[in-house]
Amino acid sequence: MDAGLSVAARRSGRRLRRRVALLTLPSWAMLAALFAVPIVVGVYLSTRSDKIGAFVPGRGVGLDNYRRDVFDSSFVGALATTLIITFIGLAIQLPVGIGLAMLLHRNLRGTRLFRTALLLPMLLTPVAVGLMWRFMLDADLGVINWLLDEVGLSRIGWLGEKWAARVAVALVDSWQSIPFVMLMTLAALAALPEAPLEAARVDGATSWRVFRHVTLPMLRPVLYVTLMIRVVDSLKLFDIIFILTRGAPGKATETVGLLTYNTGFNFLETGRAAALGVATAIVTLPIYVMWLRAQRRTA
Amino acid sequence: MRSNSSPARMRRWAAFMTAGALAVTVAACGGDDQEAVETTAAAVETTAAAVETTAAAVETTAAAVETTAAPAEDCGEPGDKGEINIFLIPSPSSSAIQSFIPAFEEASCVKVNFSETPYGEAHQKQLLAYQQGDGQYDVAQFDNTFLAAFGAAGAMSPLDDYLAASTEYDISDFSAGQQEYGKYDGQTLGLTLSTEPMIQWYRTDLYDELGLTPATTWDEYLANAKALKEAGKADGTLMGFGPNVSWWWMTLVWSFGGQLYDENLNPTVNSPEAIAATAYLKELLQYAPEGAVSANGDDVMFKFLSQDIGSIVQYSGYYGFVKDPSFTEFGDAIGTAKMPLGAADITHLAGWNIGVPADSQNKDAAWAFLEFVLGKSNAKAYLDSGAAAIGRTSITGDAELVAANPYLELLSIPDSSRIERYPQLKVWPEMDVAIVQAVTGILSDQTSVEDGLNQLNEDLAPILAAENG
Repeated sequence: MDAGLSVAARRSGRRLRRRVALLTLPSWAMLAALFAVPIVVGVYLSTRSDKIGAFVPGRGVGLDNYRRDVFDSSFVGALATTLIITFIGLAIQLPVGIGLAMLLHRNLRGTRLFRTALLLPMLLTPVAVGLMWRFMLDADLGVINWLLDEVGLSRIGWLGEKWAARVAVALVDSWQSIPFVMLMTLAALAALPEAPLEAARVDGATSWRVFRHVTLPMLRPVLYVTLMIRVVDSLKLFDIIFILTRGAPGKATETVGLLTYNTGFNFLETGRAAALGVATAIVTLPIYVMWLRAQRRTA
Repeated sequence: MRSNSSPARMRRWAAFMTAGALAVTVAACGGDDQEAVETTAAAVETTAAAVETTAAAVETTAAAVETTAAPAEDCGEPGDKGEINIFLIPSPSSSAIQSFIPAFEEASCVKVNFSETPYGEAHQKQLLAYQQGDGQYDVAQFDNTFLAAFGAAGAMSPLDDYLAASTEYDISDFSAGQQEYGKYDGQTLGLTLSTEPMIQWYRTDLYDELGLTPATTWDEYLANAKALKEAGKADGTLMGFGPNVSWWWMTLVWSFGGQLYDENLNPTVNSPEAIAATAYLKELLQYAPEGAVSANGDDVMFKFLSQDIGSIVQYSGYYGFVKDPSFTEFGDAIGTAKMPLGAADITHLAGWNIGVPADSQNKDAAWAFLEFVLGKSNAKAYLDSGAAAIGRTSITGDAELVAANPYLELLSIPDSSRIERYPQLKVWPEMDVAIVQAVTGILSDQTSVEDGLNQLNEDLAPILAAENG
C-alpha cells in the first residue's frame, strides 16, 4: 500500500515538475533570447574582425582584439577615469542623499513639497540633463560661473580643464542620482524600529551619537545595496559624458563606456567593441558579486 | 475618510503633473541640441530650422519651378512610371529636396517616397542597407566624410556617365576643384549638395571702431584678435577648441604647409608645420572668450552671433543664421571674407553629397530626380527654397544673388587655391577621435605641443596602417 502510494506520489511529483517546466518554458526562452544569446554572440564577435562598414565578412582573429584594445593604455586609462568619476560621484551622492533623507524623515513643514521637488531630477532623461547642465556650466554664459562671480570666487573652466571636467561630470550625475539614494534611505528609515532609537535617547545620547551608533548600523544593509547599485550605474555612465564633454579635454573624461561606444558606433569596429564590452564585464564582475551578496544580506 | 484624503491626493496629483510637464518640457527642449551635438562639418544647420522652412520652401519651389521648367508632357499619375525611395538627413538641404518632390512627380509621373534619419545614425543605417543589397534606396544624402567608406565598399553607383551626357546638370558650371568634391578613386559617387568652405567671419562694427580690416594672413588675423582684446572692446576670436577641434586644427596644418600623412599613409603630424600650426591655435586661445577651450563647432557660431567676438573662422553653411533675427541682433554687422592665408593657399571644403546607391532598382529615375532638383535650371529655386548654397559659377557669379548674400562670392574657389577635404579614408572617424584627444590635451595644458604631437603621430600610425588592412 505504502509502495503504491509512494509510486503515485513520485508520478504526481514528476507530472508537477513537467508542468512547471512547461509553464516556465516561455520565460526561459525569453531569458535566453534577451540575455544568453547576446552574451554568447558578444563573446563570439569579440574574436572576429567584423566591421559594420565592411562588405566582406569578418574572419576569426582569436584574441587579437583583446591584445590590441584591452591590453592597451587607452582601455586602462578609460578604466581609471571611470573609477575616478565613480569615486567622486559616490563621495557626493551618499552623504548628500543620506542627509536629505534624514531631513525629510523628520516630517517638517513643507516636507511633501520638498520631497517632490527633490525627486524631479530622477524623472528627467540623462540627455536632457546633460544639455541643461552644459549650458549652466558654460564658462562664459553659464549660470554657475555667474554665481561664482557673484560670491567673489574665481570662475572655473568646467568643461575645459582636466579635473574640473571630471568633477563636473560627477556633479551632474550626482544631481540626478541623489534622489535615488535619498529615496532608498528614506524607505529604510521608515522601516526602522523605534525602540532602539528611543532607548538611546532615554540613555542621554545626542542626536549625532544616535545617528552614528544606532541609525547608521541599522541602515547599513540598505546603504550597501544602494552603494552597489550606484557603483554599477556609475560604471556604465555614458549619456551625460557624451553630451557634456565627449571624453575631452584630452582623454580626461573618456570612460570605458565612451571608448566602447566610439569603437563600435563611430569607428564601426564591431569585433573590437565586443572585446571591450567583454573585458569591461569581466573587470566589473566582482562588483556584481558584491551586489548579489549585499542583496542576500539585506533579504 | 474620503473627503479627508482628497486634498492630499490632489496635491500629489498636482505635484506629479508638474513633474511630468517639467520633464517633458526639458526633454523636448533638449532634442534639437542633441541633434546639434551630433553634427559635423556638413551638417551645420539645425533640424528644427529645417523642418520649419520645409512648408514655406514647398510653396516657393513650386512657384519657382513652374517658371523655369519646360512644360511637362501628360504622362499620367505619379507612380505610373515607377517609384523611387530617397534617404535624407534632416537639414535645410533635405527640406529643399522635399520641396521639389511634388513638381518632379507631376513632371515625371515617378512617385517619390522619402525618409529622414538623424545624422547620428544615418551612415550606419545606410551601410547596413547597402550590405543587404535589396535596393532599399534609390537616392541617398550623405556627409562627405563617409565618401571613402561608401566608395571602398562599392556602395554607390558612379555617376560619371550620367554627368557626361547631362546638359541640364552641366558639371562644367562648377570650378575644376569642385568637380572633384564627390569623387572617390577617380569616380564621381556623389553630387555636391552643399558647398561649405571654411571662411572668415568678422564684426564690421567692431572692426570699423578700431580701424581693422579683415585679415589676409594668419599673422594679421592674430594681430586683429590681439588688438580687439587689448582694447577691451571684445574677445578677439573664437575657434572650436573643444570636441570638434580637428576641423580647425587640420585647416591650420594644411594652411601652414603641413599634411596629416604622406603618400604611404605614414602620419606626419609632428612636422615643423604641424607644430607651428598647433602653437598658433594655442596662441589664439589667449584672445578667445573665457572657457573657449571646450567650445564645439556650434558654440563657435552661436557665441559669435550672440556675443562681442571680433572674428571667427567657420564653415559658410552657417550663413542662414546670420539673416535670422531670432538668432542674432548683429545680422547687419557681420561681414565675411576669405580665410586668411598661410604658407599654402588652401580651401578647406566641406558639405553634403547625394548619390545613387549601387543596389538601386531604378537608377535612371533616381538620376532624373537629381538632375531635376540640382540641375542648372532650378539652381536659383533650390537656393531660394532655403538650402545651403551650392557653389555653381552661375550662382556665385549672379550679381543679384551675391548682393543679397555676399558670402556666395566666397564659394567660388579659384584654381590657385588647393581644395582640401576631410581625409578620404575609411579610418577617418578613428583618426578624428585621436586628433581631438591629442589637441584638446595640448590646449588644456595637459601636455606640450611637441610631446602631444609626437604622441599623436605614434597613435595615428596603427590607425592609418589599418586603412589598407
